[in-house]
Parts: sequence; C-alpha cells; structure tokens
Amino acid sequence: MDVTIAAVVFVLTYAVIATERLDKTLAALLGGLAMIVLGIIDQHDAFAAIDFNVIFLLAGMMILAGILRQTGFFQWVAIRSVKVAGGEPLRLLLVLSLIAAVLSAFLDNVTTVVLIAPVTLYIASVLRVSPVPFLISEILASNIGGTATLIGDPPNILIGSAAGLDFGQFLSNMAPPAVIIYLVFNVTLVLFFRHDLEVHAEVRDAVLALDESEVIADPALLRMSLVVIGLTLIGFLVHGALGFEPATIALLGATVLMVLSRADPEKVFHEVEWPTLFFFVGLFMLVEGIVHVGIIAALADGLFAATGGDQTITTLGLLWLSGIASGIVDNIPYTATMIPVVKQLAEEGLAIQPLWWALALGADLGGNATIIGASANVIVVNLAARAGHPIGFRQFLKYGSVVVLESLVIASVYLWVRYLM
Amino acid sequence: MSNRTRLAKQRTVAATQRLLEIEPLLVKENDTVGAVMRRSAAQPETRLIGVVDDAGILVGVIPILRLAETVIAHVVPESLMGGIADVADVARFGHAVEARSAREAMMPPASIAPEATIGDAFKEMHRLRLSGLYVVDPAGRPTGYLDLLELAIQYLDAIEAEPAEAAD
Repeated sequence: MDVTIAAVVFVLTYAVIATERLDKTLAALLGGLAMIVLGIIDQHDAFAAIDFNVIFLLAGMMILAGILRQTGFFQWVAIRSVKVAGGEPLRLLLVLSLIAAVLSAFLDNVTTVVLIAPVTLYIASVLRVSPVPFLISEILASNIGGTATLIGDPPNILIGSAAGLDFGQFLSNMAPPAVIIYLVFNVTLVLFFRHDLEVHAEVRDAVLALDESEVIADPALLRMSLVVIGLTLIGFLVHGALGFEPATIALLGATVLMVLSRADPEKVFHEVEWPTLFFFVGLFMLVEGIVHVGIIAALADGLFAATGGDQTITTLGLLWLSGIASGIVDNIPYTATMIPVVKQLAEEGLAIQPLWWALALGADLGGNATIIGASANVIVVNLAARAGHPIGFRQFLKYGSVVVLESLVIASVYLWVRYLM
Repeated sequence: MSNRTRLAKQRTVAATQRLLEIEPLLVKENDTVGAVMRRSAAQPETRLIGVVDDAGILVGVIPILRLAETVIAHVVPESLMGGIADVADVARFGHAVEARSAREAMMPPASIAPEATIGDAFKEMHRLRLSGLYVVDPAGRPTGYLDLLELAIQYLDAIEAEPAEAAD
C-alpha cells in the first residue's frame, strides 16, 4: 500500500511539475510533504534526506553572482568581447555564445545568459535582425559550458554532492567532453545561422563605438568580487585536500564578500532564489519517499536486468536515457531521482564512476533539447517574449534536438574511450 | 466627510484638467522616435505623450522618461546597461533599443473619462505609475490631458484650507 501511495504521489508531482499546472517549487514541496503526511517517511527521515551541501552551495553561489551582477561585470565582458570580434555578425554570435559557455561553467546559467542579453539585444537591433538566433545560441552554449564543472549546472551539484566528487574530479572528467562538444557546436551554429546574419557596415561602427567602461557601476566592488570569486574557485579546486565540502567554500566566499563590501544582508539575501532552494528541498523529500518504499531499488533492478548487468550497455543506456528524459522533464528532478538508482546499480556490482559521468553528461546536455529542458531555457524564452521576440517550442526544438543529438554521440564516444574500452 | 475626501470623491476630471494649462501632446503611430522627441522638447510640460491612430483614437502612451531611454539606448546603450539586474530590466532595455517609431515605443493607452472623479484619476495614475492621463471621449479620442501636478494642487488647496475651516 505504501508503495502505491508513494508512486502515485511521485508521479503526480512530476506531472504537475512537467505540465506547469502549479509552480514547480510548490509542487515539489507539496509532493515532499505528502510523503510525510501520508506516513511514507517521517519528518526526521525527510529532513535527513535534504542535502544541505547542495542547498548551501547553491545559496553561496547565488550570493556571489548576485553581488557581481550589481557591478556590470557581465555586460563589460560581453561588450569587450564583441569589440574584439569586430563587426562581423556570425563572429559576434560565436563570441557571445563562447562568453555564455565560459561564464556558465562558473556561475549559474540563468544569471549569465540574462545579463549578456542586453548586449545581445543591442547587436541584434543594430543588425536589424531578430535576437532569437543569438539568444538560442547563448542558451545552448550555456548548458554545454555548464557541463564542464561541478558548479556549472545544478545536476552536477546534485551528483557531486551525492557521489562525493570534488571540483577537480569534475573538471578532469567533464571538461574534456564539454570542450569537444562545444567545438562541434560552433560548426553547427555556423550551419544553422550563416544565411541569417549578413554583414552591415554600420554594425562594425556601432560595435566599436561601445564603451565598456560605462557599464561598470562600481569598480571597487567589481575588483573585490573578482578577487573573492577567484579565491572561491581556488577553494573549490583544493577543497578535497582541505577536507571541506563545496558548500563551506561557497558560503565562506559569499560571507567574506558581504563583509568586505559591507553589503546589507537583507538586500543580498533578497537576491537569493529561495524558490529554487525550496524546490530542491521538496525534491529531496519526495525522492526519499520512493527510495524508502523500495521503488528506486526495483527500478535499478529492472534496469540491471534489462541491460544484463553489462557495464557498457548500462552506462551508455543511462547517458541516452538521461539525455532524452532531461529534454522532456526538468533535468533537476530527473537527476535527483536517478542518483539513488545509480547508487543501487553500483551495489549490483557495476563500476559507479562511469555511471556518474553518464548521468551528468546526459542530464546536462539533454536539457538543450526543449524549452522546458533546463531552467535557463525557460527564463530566456520568457525574456525573449517580454522583449517582443517570442521563441516557439518547435522553433527551439529544431535547433535543440540537433545539438543534443550531436552532443550525446560525442559523449558516448568519450565515455566508451575513457571508461569502457 | 472632510474637505479632502469630498474633493477626491466629487470633483471631476473635467473640472480639474487645464488647471495648469498643460496641453495634450499627440503623435501618430508611425512617427519616428526622433520626431516625437523633438515635439516633446517643444512642449516639455507634457510628460506623457499620447499616440493616436488614423482615426484619432488613443492607442498608446509614451512617458517622457521612456522616450528619453529610447533615444539614449540608440546612442549610448552602455549607459543603460550597467543598472540591468533581472529579466524585467532586460526586457525594458530591449524595447528601448529596438523602438524606432511611436508604435514600438509606446505602452498601452492610459486614459480617463471627463466625468470620472479626481480620486479615480489618481488611483489610475498610481496603478500605472504615470504622471498623467489622457481625457478621452466615449470613442476613445483624446479631448484633454490631466497632469499629476494638477491633482496635487487641488489636494494641497484642500489641505491648506482645513485648519482655517476647523478654527471657524
């Protein structure tokens, strides 16, 4: 009976999240609390399942990004980069996408893409073209770039915390395929958009006339923020050796920056995306419910049986399943659900490391397939609509599906060559 | 009922507009942003520009600040980029940088009927965060303009009159 109740609560919650009938945070919280109220798990087990390393790592990075956002840094980087690229539109598109990818590896994708959007919109306005090709390229690039590091994409944070994988391990295992995928993605972008972006003489003049120094709102805060964020990133690289979890590093960096900048905590905490954090809280409790009743174990057993316990088939199957599923449902709840499945598969005798990387690659890259595949996609589509340039589901899918397909093929080859041969 | 309350509930827009003789400033949908800016500079007391269609019906309004942002966004866009912090800011910047005509720069129409009270007018300005409203006929054609200052002066007169009334 408990199994049925837990399964129904889980499926209903996912359905509500996927169909957006209710705000996803509220849906996740209701689902998680239902597991307690209906007696599937008790409060102690539910709260013990909340991974506070994830919560506080996210909170710390949100605070750092929020303070950095005030300085005009993102717009400075975007303007500087497009001036270096000169006035050639396709080159501008590639440069802006590269900025989105690199910044997304270290700061959240949403902040990155939203804050380079002003330069994007300006470039498109001067070109007299729709900004949609630029915005789509930047979203796709940010999801690929975020794949490279522990802190680049929420699924990576979830996996890193659950698996005890540190920043250095993520970098050495995920950055290589992310770079290869990104290089191929550039070729794809050229093929997609080469006919849509023509050269205009006035674009070169307009781009070169931009003054990046004008967007820096607070030079002193910018310098301070970059130093602290730089030290925080170094902290991530060595946190394993120091014996600290990433959340400690992130919160320490955030707190130090708040102290040094004399920030008002009330204003800073106002910038934290509390709905996102509570979304994770709800998910952790929800997934614990189905773990507790054995659904996850059964799912893992089923997967193991289906693949015959073969390491290669299971690893590649997990990659493609994750890639496809993440395009249909938000990759965060998908990853939260699959983490205990992977742990169970390891208990069945499979090597766990390839499975973690397969899950991470699939969940991160699959988010590029559709508008709903990743949070950044939803936000940027909303931004485009509000700016008067709606991006349709099919329009996005046309580009996203191609990028995901090529990404998963490259990831498959990488996994096979590195871990399975 | 106090004087100020009576004022808000009974004094009509028709009785209040033109107190400061601020005239409507109407432009056509296809007028360029530059042309609108020049007309606005010639009539600076009107802080809300009305956009009308070929039939003369009010189809939108452009606050002077929004108009200025549109011009600035084309010339020195980076001066507006620094303060951008969220999606709403980006969308606003996007509208500013792309607008080349009155139609592209305008917001939805903001109007009030002449028989409405000044209390209603203030609520509408406050809701829309505007400093003026166009007074329109039943067909939606502008017949006048009501500025926030004209409302404020009416209320000020009422407030200043009250101690004298109480003493009486």
